[in-house]
This record gives sequence, C-alpha cells and structure tokens, in this order.
Amino acid sequence: MTKYLYSIRWLLLLLLLIFSCVWCLNTGAVALNWQLLWPCIFTECHALTEQQILLELRLPRILLGLVAGAGLALSGALLQNLSRNMLADPYLFGIISGAGLGATIATLFLPQYAIALPLAAFAGALLAMVLVLGFATLGGWRRLDTVVLAGVAVSFLLSAVTSLLLYQSEAFAANRVMFWLMGSLARADYQALAIITPCLILCFVLGCLFRRQLDALQWSDQTAHSLGVAVLPVRLLFLLLTAALTACIVAYCGGIGFVGLMIPHLVRLLFGGKTIVLLSGSMLCGGLFLIWVDAGARTLLPTQEIPLGVITSGIGSLFFLLLLSRKGNHTL
Amino acid sequence: MSIQPLLCCRNLSFFWRQQVGLQHIDLTVNSADRVGIIGPNGAGKSTLLKLLAGLLRPYTGEILLEGKPLSKFSLQQRAHKLALLAQDPEVLTTSTVLDLVELGLLPHKQLWQRTNSHDRTRIKEVLKQVGLSDKAEAAVNSLSGGELQRAQFARVLVQGAQLLLLDEPTNHLDVQYQHQLLQSVTSSDLTLVASFHDLNLAASYCNRLLLLKNGEVMACGTPEQVLQPQLIQTVFGRACLVDENPFDGKPRITFAPGAAQ
Repeated sequence: MTKYLYSIRWLLLLLLLIFSCVWCLNTGAVALNWQLLWPCIFTECHALTEQQILLELRLPRILLGLVAGAGLALSGALLQNLSRNMLADPYLFGIISGAGLGATIATLFLPQYAIALPLAAFAGALLAMVLVLGFATLGGWRRLDTVVLAGVAVSFLLSAVTSLLLYQSEAFAANRVMFWLMGSLARADYQALAIITPCLILCFVLGCLFRRQLDALQWSDQTAHSLGVAVLPVRLLFLLLTAALTACIVAYCGGIGFVGLMIPHLVRLLFGGKTIVLLSGSMLCGGLFLIWVDAGARTLLPTQEIPLGVITSGIGSLFFLLLLSRKGNHTL
Repeated sequence: MSIQPLLCCRNLSFFWRQQVGLQHIDLTVNSADRVGIIGPNGAGKSTLLKLLAGLLRPYTGEILLEGKPLSKFSLQQRAHKLALLAQDPEVLTTSTVLDLVELGLLPHKQLWQRTNSHDRTRIKEVLKQVGLSDKAEAAVNSLSGGELQRAQFARVLVQGAQLLLLDEPTNHLDVQYQHQLLQSVTSSDLTLVASFHDLNLAASYCNRLLLLKNGEVMACGTPEQVLQPQLIQTVFGRACLVDENPFDGKPRITFAPGAAQ
C-alpha cells in the first residue's frame, strides 16, 4: 500500500467519524431543525426542549457509543494479540456472562436500587475474570489455549446460574434482564462516560507504550522472551486492563457482541496488523460503528428501540461469513 | 592467562514429564566460535538451544554467560548479549517484513523511544544483506517459507547480539541462501551456536560440532573428529561414506540410499 493511499484512508476515517457524530445528533424520534441545532452545539440553545434532547439525551448517548465501541474494539484487538487467537474477544473470557449474572441478581433481588444493576454487573464481570485468571494461574500459564478454554468454561458456568435464577423468577423481571443482556445505550449519562473514558485512555496509552512488546507477542512466546519481553507480566497486565475496561462498558451498556471480534479484523484488512495501527484504528472504527448501530437501533422501528446486540451480532456474523468466503491467503 | 569463555555450561540436565530431555551436557563456547549441534530428530538440539537462551530452566547444572550465571542477567541484558532464531509456529500476524525486522530493536529501546533514522538505515542494510530489500513492505503472511526465514534472520541481526542461537537456520532456504546466510555469520566476528540437519553444512561452516542422541553427548570436537563413519552410522542408523569436500577440505558425508541398515 502506498503511503499516499494509506494517509488518505486515515483522513477519510477521521472525516467520517466527525460527520457521523454530527449526523447522529439529529437522528432520533424527534427531528430537530439543523438551523436550530448549530447554535445549540456552539453557543446556546433557543428552547429548553432542544437543549434537553440534545445535551442530556443525544450527546451523552453518542459519546457513550463512541467510547463503548472504541473500548470493545480496543479490548478485542488487545486480546487477539495477547492470546494469538484471532477469534478472541472480551466475551470469550466470560466477562459478559459474569456481568449478566450480576445484572440478574440486581434485578431480581435489589430492584429498588437503580445503581445496583451497573454495580452488580461490574462485580460479576470481575468475578468471571478472577475465575478465568485463577484457573490459568492454577495451570501455571503453561498453555495459552487453557486461558481461552477456561474463559469458555467459566462463561457456561455463570450462564447456567443466570438461567436457573431467571427460570425461578417472575416473567417481568426475566424480561428486563433479557433486554439488558441484549445491549443498549439508553442508560447513557455523563457518569457512565466519566467512568469508561479514563479506563479507555489508560488502556490505549499503555497499549501504545508497550507496542513493541505486543508486536513481539504476536510471533511466539519464545521469540518475545528472547527479545527481552517479560511475557507473563505483560500478558497479565493487559488481560486485567481489558477485563476492567470491558466490565465498565458492559455494566452500563449491557452485552454488545461481535464489536471486539469484528472491528480488529476490519482494521487489519484496511491498515495492517502492527499493534499501534491496530489499536488506533480499532478505537476509531469501533466508535464509528457503534454510533451508527445505535442510530439504526433508534430509528429502524417507529415505536420501539432494537437492542444493539441484535444488530451487532447480525452484522458481525454476516461479516465473518464474508471474510471466510474471501479467496487468498489473508490470515483471519 | 586463560580467556574467559563467552558461554559455558556444566553438567546440564533437563527433564520433561519424567522423560530425559538432556543429560550431563558440558559445552564451552569461546568468542567467534561456531558450534554446530547435530543429531537425529528428538535428540535434544532445540531443547539445548532453549536452555542456552534461558527459555527453559535446567534441572541440574548451570549456564554461565561471560562467567556469570545466566539467571543473574535481566531479560533485557540477556537480549543484548544473545539472540535466538526459534522455530516459530504458524504466522498469524499481517505485519510487514519491516515491522518484523524492527522488532530486533526492542531490547535497545525504552517504552517511549521511537525508531530513529539511524535505526532505519541499519534495518535497510540488513534487509539488503539477506536479499529482502524489495519485500520490505510485504505482509509476512504473504512470504514464502524461505523469505520468512531470511526476514527472521534479519530480525536477529538487527538485535545486535554477540552470540547467535539459531534453531535450524537453513530450514526452507534454497541452496544459495543456505550458504549466503551461514557465510554472513562466519565472515563476521559473531559467535554462533546452531542446530543443523544437514551435516555437510555443519561441517563446512562450524569449527566445532556437538553430536547428540537421546539427550546425551555422543561426541564433541572438530568436524574431522566428530564425523566418523562408524559413529555417524551408530547415531543415525544409516551407512555412510566420509571423504573430503574438494572445495573447502572439510569432511563430506554421503549416506547410503535405500532401506535403513
């Protein structure tokens, strides 16, 4: 790829991201006039309703879409590099099942406290991560596959407990949990942003600093080790960081699948596989993807919102089938 | 006054799941030595290289690098002194050849340091040396086996270590590049410890050979001392002739074709 074409791609991506943010601000059940929208963004709003719709509903929702999409894609890219498994994503490590269990417990047993749901989801996600890392440590971290398999096993275990609790509960509560598990940005507020954004920035900055170590880990543990990389501490640090970042996102947005799996693949195809490029590209593409998915979720059906997870999983599975059918020797 | 060896291991043993991996290995490597490790499959060649690189911990014995136990060096210090070309599994990354070779700079860079113009010149020189200048921007998963091996070797050279530990470095390479790669090491003042399947290459480019079988040393010495027909037949289970290579005067082995004797 020529440098010129490469730079053009980055520029297009940035422009598309800015355009999308502005466009999505005026997408929703209530159509706002563009002429009224500009002063509202840059100076002050003419009417209180517009101000409320724009600054308290749509803006935090778009910003949350950006950071959640960026965070999920960044976690996916990091996990794929760390585990050298191109199918790894935050959900493979049991994080969503743990958060689901937490959300179920909060909905069934503490329905009177609104804050209980994100807190319990976060605690559940951390529990899943501790279980997975605990199993990996018991196994002496001998094989990387065991970490991934432990994630799958923990995921099934926690899902089984969730199913049992839902089976025993009343239908309305089960319905609420199911909707939450399918993912939504409806819970967006500035508090969620204040929690997720620092985690995202920390993950990205550390990912950039350790870019060479992460590049070396893409080859093999022995090559990385011979280049002076402390393989286990670096891997553990980034596993913990990605787990914490995903737990924060899942706690506020529920289960949004396939973003962490699909976006890094797309970035590899467009920009290449070098860690720093992969992380930056995944963040931008992940954010861009999720705000459009959310815009679609809000407007596709006239009277109700479609859960985000339904759209992302639909698009993600089609993307994968397309990728698998591609000819040539591209690595997944 | 005796010169301190660059690398020295004494009574090295390694076990893997209660099975003997290596037993009672003694080896001294001086600066600018070129040591070839030979032996049949499963003899312990790769295991010995991994032990010397510090990837595995010996069950008994110790490894001294410049007279100091290998375990006393930090990972980064170790990477400054020795570089390993391992047999990596399938390549999954879509990085370019340039990115791979740049990895050799890793031990020399702090987290925040960037690749500078001096580094880039060095990388270009090494890519030219291994004949991959025109493939610098190619994705590594689009390379042939031989090109990938040369790119890996370029990464090892950029690492700038005095001691090179190469696990079957001539794998996948055509005849021209087999000789070119080994010539580039032997014509420099680098120290080489490498495993070989091709005994003739080992004889031509190494000044000492270590012959292993089932994790034990069968012979250690100059190619002329180690490549004895009877010994080679015992280790490899195949009759052979040893004569003199007309080009360099080193021993040349020709194995008898057909069923094993």
